[in-house]
Amino acid sequence: MSVIDFLDERFGIRKGAREFANHPVPDHVNWLYCFGGITFLCFLIQAATGVLLAFYYEPSTTTAYSSVLNIMDNVPFGVLVRSLHAWTANIMIIMVVFHMLRVFFHGAYRPPRELNWITGVVLFFITITFGFSGYLLPMNQLSYWATKVGTEIAGAIPLIGQYVQAFLLGGDKIGDATLTRFYTIHVIILPITLSALLVAHFLMVRKQGIADPL
Amino acid sequence: MSPNQSYEPEKDKDEHEGGVPFFPDHFVKEAAVMALVLGLVVFLATLMPAPMGEPADPLKTPAGIKPEWYFLSVYQILKYVPKTVGIILTFIIFPPILILFPLFYKQITKWRYGRLLLHTLVALGVLLAVFLASLAYLGFE
Repeated sequence: MSVIDFLDERFGIRKGAREFANHPVPDHVNWLYCFGGITFLCFLIQAATGVLLAFYYEPSTTTAYSSVLNIMDNVPFGVLVRSLHAWTANIMIIMVVFHMLRVFFHGAYRPPRELNWITGVVLFFITITFGFSGYLLPMNQLSYWATKVGTEIAGAIPLIGQYVQAFLLGGDKIGDATLTRFYTIHVIILPITLSALLVAHFLMVRKQGIADPL
Repeated sequence: MSPNQSYEPEKDKDEHEGGVPFFPDHFVKEAAVMALVLGLVVFLATLMPAPMGEPADPLKTPAGIKPEWYFLSVYQILKYVPKTVGIILTFIIFPPILILFPLFYKQITKWRYGRLLLHTLVALGVLLAVFLASLAYLGFE
C-alpha cells in the first residue's frame, strides 16, 4: 500500500488535491497577477536563507559584525546565502508594492474583499519592518546610523514616541539590548505574525476568488 | 460585480466558474515567473554580493547618512515639513487611511458624488506614487 493510499484512506487527500488543482482561475488573469505569488516566493527564500544565517550569526555588539564577517569569509556558501538574503529583501519590497498597486488599480479591494486588503496592507508594513529590523543586525556603520535615525524618528511620534523608542532601544542608546530586541523582532515576532496573516490572506483569496477588474 | 450592487456571495462565486484550472494551466505560468525571479536574485547575489561596510562606530558620524531606498520618500518628507507634522502625516494619518478605506467603499458609492470622488482618489493615488518616487529620487541625490 502506497503512502498516498494510506493518507487518502484517512484524510481523503485525493479529493482535496483534485479540488485544489481544478480550482478555476478566471480568464482575465494575466502576468500582472503574479506579483503576490512572487512576494510569497521571496518570503520562502528569506525564511530558508534566514535560518541558515541564524546558525552562524551571534547577536551581541561585540560579536555581530565579526560573526557576519565569518559568514562572508569562512562559512561554505556564506557569501551566497547572505547576499541572497539581502537582495531578496529588496526584491520582496518591490514585489509587495507592485502587488498593492495592481490590487489598487484593479479595484480588487472593493467589497467583499476589504479584509484581504486590510491584511495585505498590514503584511506590507510587516515587510517594511523586516527591512528596518534586519538592517541593524550586521552592526556596520550603515546599520548603526540608520537605526539611530530611525529610532529617533520613532521617538518623535507625539505622545507615545518616547515609549516606542525606549521599547526599541531597550535603553537610552543602541547597545546589546537593542540588538537582541531587533533580532527577536526580526526572527521570531515578524515571521510568526507574517505567516499567520499570510494564511488568512491566502484562505480569503481561495474562498472569495480573484476579483473581476473594474 | 458592479460596485453599485450589493454583494451576493453565491453569485460572486459562480462568476469564477469556467476559467482555466489552477493546475496545470495557471501553475505553470506562476512557476515560470518564479523560476525567473529565483534566477534574478541568484544572478544579483553572485555578481554583487552584499557589502560588509565598516564596523559600527558611535563616535564617527559618516557623511551623508541615507536610509534604505524604501524609506527615502518618508525621510525626504520629514526634511521639508516640521518633524512633528511629518510624523503625524506619515505615521498617524496615512496608514489608517491606507488600511481602512475599502470599509467605506459602499457608503462612498451610494453618495451622489461618490464615483467622482473614487476617480479623484485613483488619480491622487497615481500622483502620490509619482510624488513619493520623486521624493525618493531627491533623497537619493
